[in-house]
Amino acid sequence: MEKNIYIIKTQEVFDAIVVGSGIAGGWAAKELTEKGLKTLMVERGRPVEHRKDYIGEGLKAWQMPFRGAVEKALVDEQHYVQKKCYAFNDATKHFFGNDKDFPYSTPKDKPFDWIRGNQLGGKSLLWHRQSYRWSDHDFNSNARDGEGVDWPIRYKDIEQWYDKVELHAGISGSTENLEILPDSQFLPPFEMNAVEKEMKARIEKKWSTRKLIIGRTAHLSVPAPHHLAQGRLQCQARNECQKGCSFGAYFSTQSSTLPSALATNNLSIATNSIVHSVIYDPKTNRATGVRVIDAETLETREYFAKVIFLCASTLGTTQIMLNSVSESFPTGIANSSGALGHYLMDHLYGAGAMGRVEGFEEDYYSGRRPIGLVMPRFRDYNEKNPNFKRGYFYMAGAQRANWEHIGASDGFGANFKAAIRQPGPWYFNLSGSGEMLPRYENQVSLHPTLKDKWGMPQLHIDCSFSDNDWKMMEDIADTAANMLEAIGLKDVKKDIRAKRDWNPGLSIHEMGTARMGKDPKTSVLNGWNQAHDVPNLFVTDGACMTSSASQNPSLTYMALTARAADYAVQQLKLGKI
Amino acid sequence: MNLSALPYGSDGIARRTALKQLALACGLALSASSLSALAASFSAPTDFSRRKKTLLSSDQLQLLRELGDIIIPTTDTPGAIAAGVHDFINHYAAYCASSAEQQQLLATLARIEAGARSEFNKAFLTLTKAQQLQLLNAMEQAQNGFSQADRKGLKQLKALVVFGYYTSEPGASQELAYLAIPGGYKGNFKLKEIGRAWALNF
Repeated sequence: MEKNIYIIKTQEVFDAIVVGSGIAGGWAAKELTEKGLKTLMVERGRPVEHRKDYIGEGLKAWQMPFRGAVEKALVDEQHYVQKKCYAFNDATKHFFGNDKDFPYSTPKDKPFDWIRGNQLGGKSLLWHRQSYRWSDHDFNSNARDGEGVDWPIRYKDIEQWYDKVELHAGISGSTENLEILPDSQFLPPFEMNAVEKEMKARIEKKWSTRKLIIGRTAHLSVPAPHHLAQGRLQCQARNECQKGCSFGAYFSTQSSTLPSALATNNLSIATNSIVHSVIYDPKTNRATGVRVIDAETLETREYFAKVIFLCASTLGTTQIMLNSVSESFPTGIANSSGALGHYLMDHLYGAGAMGRVEGFEEDYYSGRRPIGLVMPRFRDYNEKNPNFKRGYFYMAGAQRANWEHIGASDGFGANFKAAIRQPGPWYFNLSGSGEMLPRYENQVSLHPTLKDKWGMPQLHIDCSFSDNDWKMMEDIADTAANMLEAIGLKDVKKDIRAKRDWNPGLSIHEMGTARMGKDPKTSVLNGWNQAHDVPNLFVTDGACMTSSASQNPSLTYMALTARAADYAVQQLKLGKI
Repeated sequence: MNLSALPYGSDGIARRTALKQLALACGLALSASSLSALAASFSAPTDFSRRKKTLLSSDQLQLLRELGDIIIPTTDTPGAIAAGVHDFINHYAAYCASSAEQQQLLATLARIEAGARSEFNKAFLTLTKAQQLQLLNAMEQAQNGFSQADRKGLKQLKALVVFGYYTSEPGASQELAYLAIPGGYKGNFKLKEIGRAWALNF
């Protein structure tokens, strides 16, 4: 990366400003620059250079002082929220936010876990890379049962944009021709192991409505020529992705969208630049730029552009919008509807079941596959719901027990050691991802008095699981356990982690709070991710989502961003914004 | 493929040769970009100067060392002592354990020593192997005056030894099997091709 792409102060009026550099921001920058717009990407964190700054990459357990664990004093001081993320460890911790610096508040009885990735590349460096299209079942969901407002788009509106982003990003998966989970433009799928194939056969024989398929993931199972030309190589199945990947084998801003944007020579980047608010001109009814606080010096500066894309993460974007107050918009820019900050959603994770599979002692696997299996949604689709609205899909997988499990058994000495040398029994698990309803009560607002060290008002997050959510989690666990018992598994155990330690936010699929909709009176954005109230302001990260579906949302952010960028450039050329 | 011998540091000839061998072993085409990706993917080890504090006295450390050897002895591969498990736990417990967990570990060591005194009227380290095993088996089964709490304490100590050993270089790459760069996922792989369990999932 050339150093001269980084700017601090400038008088230049850019064609476009993109706030944020994660999955949505990277796509916005790529699409806008490739269409010829001089674009400034504004990132609150530090620069992270592909390969060079992956300082934890390749570290083996014994090369870390605490074998991957992080010192308790450091966790207690700086990472008391981030530590709950499955990917947080000694080799990835520098890509997670410092909780002391990024405070937020919640009601005492409504904990919310906000996982942050504040650096160039954002959470694209940390994501779990599962990539699924949404279907019309999802875009129709609010209209069907009356929860939330209707989506302003349908599958046909986004289909070609899925095609486009998938070909560039590289999505591996198997072609299944399922209406509920439309196929992507696939690279070859990862393999299933012997037990997973057997579980698939047993389940599909018993239920015509349930399919077990390999997961779909933004990994180069086999890179296409354009991936190789970009310096991206085949996935090596290390499954250490969040340390950073010098092979560029998984999609991130650094591996995929940033190189494309830089190749246009139309991109500038301002790092360590915390956007305080969007600047609004009431005479023209346009956003004209952003006010920025320097993360290191606390100095303020402004950047200007003709069109602004907010891609600062769901809650980051909404925090900026709520803080962008003016006479025209006293409760936050583009908030004439009053919907801004409301209808926060996450996915319902941590409910499911696991059981032991007898036999298959000769079968094993090699490599650490960076993806599991999925069972596409059947609840509220081709099977009835017991007592709740919406549905879920399952993530699944089969593995053999290893030292972490067998090491807990009784005994000492050579026999104890010999028992651990051999892999243990096979276990197969089903773990749900449930759709959370868009509820007005689940909301974020600016705290009236508390500020962070840069002077930004803190976010107050008021979000909890509803009765519908709890009923769905019960069904996820019960249905999984019943299914595993019905196909002959032993020692079946079910679990609902939300009863213990899984708070809203921890699925890291926070969505909503600046939703799309047809009616400017009830939604913030229109069908092009364009603010109803301010035509040159676009929001294309998770804040825009009108419902949560049950699929991982990032692929949809990519497609919506590419679609919105295309529309914005057209409107700009027509002189309409 | 043992990658632990791979040289670190500047791009010397030895390092480039090792990387080429590695690329071949991984089935990677020897393109310039695959070699530079490999080079970049081998970070220098992190700084062990972060690890200075210890929890245990020298007597406690000696006892832990002996217990490690009883739990995971040297067989056809190195055991816990050769893997330095006692030293690792001494640092790990000082930095990563809560004070309750630290107290539990200290109490377990004291309980084992007290058990040796009351049962055999000797220090644990001076018992015969058979006596040591007899005592530890009784403790793990909560028998002969050992309580369920004693069993729980021993289980915690064993879990630390198991963690320290199987995340060590000999534990992960000699006793078990480890590939830093597997080169891909094979779902139809047979156990007999490797003959032992994979070590690490991260």
